[in-house]
Amino acid sequence: MRTRIKEHRAKQNLTQEKLAEMVGVRRETIIFLEQGKYNPSLRLAHNVAKALKTTINEIFIFDDDYC
Amino acid sequence: MKTNRAFLAISSTALIVIIILISLRAYYVTIALIAGILIIGHREFWSLIRRKKLPPIDERVRENAGKSIRNGFIFFVLALAFLMLPFSVLLIRTPNIVHVLGGLFLSGGMVYLLSYLFYDRVEPKLDERGLKMLKTFLLVAGISLASGIISVFLHNAISGLFGIEEPVFFFITVFIVPLALAVGIIGSLVIFINGLFSRVS
Repeated sequence: MRTRIKEHRAKQNLTQEKLAEMVGVRRETIIFLEQGKYNPSLRLAHNVAKALKTTINEIFIFDDDYC
Repeated sequence: MKTNRAFLAISSTALIVIIILISLRAYYVTIALIAGILIIGHREFWSLIRRKKLPPIDERVRENAGKSIRNGFIFFVLALAFLMLPFSVLLIRTPNIVHVLGGLFLSGGMVYLLSYLFYDRVEPKLDERGLKMLKTFLLVAGISLASGIISVFLHNAISGLFGIEEPVFFFITVFIVPLALAVGIIGSLVIFINGLFSRVS
């Protein structure tokens, strides 16, 4: 899984700390999410997408996506 | 708010357990418990010292803590069963039952601590190759430990049955098992510590 959280975060001018605070998670969780090393729950994915004013599809990319 | 309550509950429970342990004179378990709490909760303590908001207990932390509790519990049950089966009479008669149980809790706690550190701070930082190597080293350590126990049993059984000094399993137990165990433990520790202290940006 790859993510485009970092890109969208930069667009919104948000720090990892600020995004973590908005979503209600630890900064480390945002770090691991950005690196694609943590599979979030649907709720967390939704909250991150909402905080970045985008959609889940836009920020979480699955390499084996065949749709 | 939720974090504050959880932190308060854990701290007060730990304080009660520490008082009980000190009254039982299980000092080494007390020290280990305090060290474990400080290692796991160092971020929370640091936030308290700096009078900052406590970091939230998010789903990742809950997930990691859950998996670690499961590992610690499984280890505790297995170790207790291992001790109880062959030594149950000896265990009941021993005057140091508190120390035996303290040792078991301590080992279970160590498994919890190492599991938590692994899931929370090591696993996400290791790449696929690192994880594979760690798994291999742990497997080497586990297999050598198991073969050590089996070799001792077989050496004694063969020597006792045939009245000879059995050489093959003796050689395996004395030379190969300690070497393989050392390689497994040192290798896993190096990868674990490397992952634990590597930086993420």
